[in-house]
Amino acid sequence: MSKGEFAIIGIGEAPCGQFPERSEFEIAYTVAKLAVKDAGIEMKDVGAVLCAQHIMGEEYNTEAVFGRIPEAIGARNCKITCLTSSGGASSFSIRKTAEGILYSGETDTVLVIHAQRFSQFTMNQMAKYFAIAGSDLEWEVPYGMTYNSLAAMITQAYMTITGTTIEQVAAVAVACRKWACLQPNAMFNKKEINVEKVLSSRMVAYPLTSLMCNVLADGGSAYVMTTAEKARKVCRRPAYILSDASDYSHRGITRSKVKDFETMTRFLAPIAKIALERAGLELKNMDIFELYGSYPVVHLVLMDALGITEPGKSGALVAAGETGPGGKCPCTTNGEALSFGHTGSGVGFGLFVESVRQLQGKAGKAQVPNARFIIENTGGGAFMDCHFTVLGNEIP
Amino acid sequence: MGIKELLNLSDEEVKKPMPKPTKWTQPFWDAAKQHQLVLKQCRDCGNIDHPPYLYCTNCLSENMEWIAASGKGKLYAYAINYYMVPFPFWDDMPYVVAMIDLPEGVRMISNIVECDHKELKNGMDLEVVFHEVSPEFTLPKWRPAKK
Repeated sequence: MSKGEFAIIGIGEAPCGQFPERSEFEIAYTVAKLAVKDAGIEMKDVGAVLCAQHIMGEEYNTEAVFGRIPEAIGARNCKITCLTSSGGASSFSIRKTAEGILYSGETDTVLVIHAQRFSQFTMNQMAKYFAIAGSDLEWEVPYGMTYNSLAAMITQAYMTITGTTIEQVAAVAVACRKWACLQPNAMFNKKEINVEKVLSSRMVAYPLTSLMCNVLADGGSAYVMTTAEKARKVCRRPAYILSDASDYSHRGITRSKVKDFETMTRFLAPIAKIALERAGLELKNMDIFELYGSYPVVHLVLMDALGITEPGKSGALVAAGETGPGGKCPCTTNGEALSFGHTGSGVGFGLFVESVRQLQGKAGKAQVPNARFIIENTGGGAFMDCHFTVLGNEIP
Repeated sequence: MGIKELLNLSDEEVKKPMPKPTKWTQPFWDAAKQHQLVLKQCRDCGNIDHPPYLYCTNCLSENMEWIAASGKGKLYAYAINYYMVPFPFWDDMPYVVAMIDLPEGVRMISNIVECDHKELKNGMDLEVVFHEVSPEFTLPKWRPAKK
């Protein structure tokens, strides 16, 4: 792909939180309508509808696989539809699918939708699912391993090796909450928190307290993607996709390329570097870093990998408030899984849609002044694969 | 009162998940039952894989054999689960899950047992211990090495 061939011209987003009465079909309909309206087009212009997998949601997924979603949202001229999933990296793989469709020329307007309703499940169903998802059934699950334990172990190792303090780790949650408080659709947008509050919240998986763990929530988002050529005609300020770079490690964090957080940094750093090179830009050109962490330690590892500061020192930068609103290096401006809410594969969609919002100057109170270029990442599995994307509201 | 009585759960809901061995991992569990820790080594390149695979993850050879492990290890990292675990593990809280580095060059996820949580320290010496968790399965776990 060459630079800036595709662009996003409109986005839609639903409030994130616990809304058991709001079905996933209703979320899909609502965000689709918002995205189409925001793009300044009509639903009849949409030629392809791509849906993300609903985590644990068999009914929605089956309906999507059987082609119901275009009908459910009123996209009557839709020619192509499919369900795409790669867990947390879904927002990336679905966009790659959209690029393929746009290349084919069958349509020049693709609508991408994510919808999730966790509130239909019991706590135990979710605890069971996330104990098993990403953990090895034979070698980890029988030991009472959970997703939180994995994040806790990485945090514990990271702190021991880099000398990062638990206060600095907690500061990531504080910064995310600050951003979320500026976001009308965030789950936790009422009250800021401080380090003391994070550390005194209930211990979940030592060293992680509940405010350092993400919360599963209902939500959804959508966007309209088109060719750069068309985008320039129909949109005043499109968000161009400037470059991507990807790599895949194998499943278990205990083996293969990603054996621990040290190899994780070595695994992640080249991906970000290649993405920047492909965009013809440097780290210093980035106005915002949209980091998909889900847990505070992953934010720090991603910051280390990007080279925002000296490796292992990212915690100090966060604690100084530099990643929060008004900081020198704004990170994760929607509050991410920790404070916006964890909507399954939607965390990546949320960050992507937020990137577009920032580049289009529509981020309201959370707007980073004059944001031109953003680097964004997604990852799937148990910290297994990683994709960095550079976006811009101009093509450098 | 345990979680079962507290929430009126069925036996099924509190039943601990057991490994589901495959053809190429069964010998590991057979050995564990005999209180032996074994690892799968490639006869062609010498690489040791854990968990064991159908093939060598280093050279893709299928020519592999089981070797006895030393039973020694070092703590790489740990977490202590205090809340939000699946029901079958609820009454075990707080319990330790950890990454253990074996001198054979592999890393294992397991529990640290027979250890005051205050004594946990990355890099500490550990030794394997076998827990018979069901009539069919014995899980290798780890405790601080006896001096």
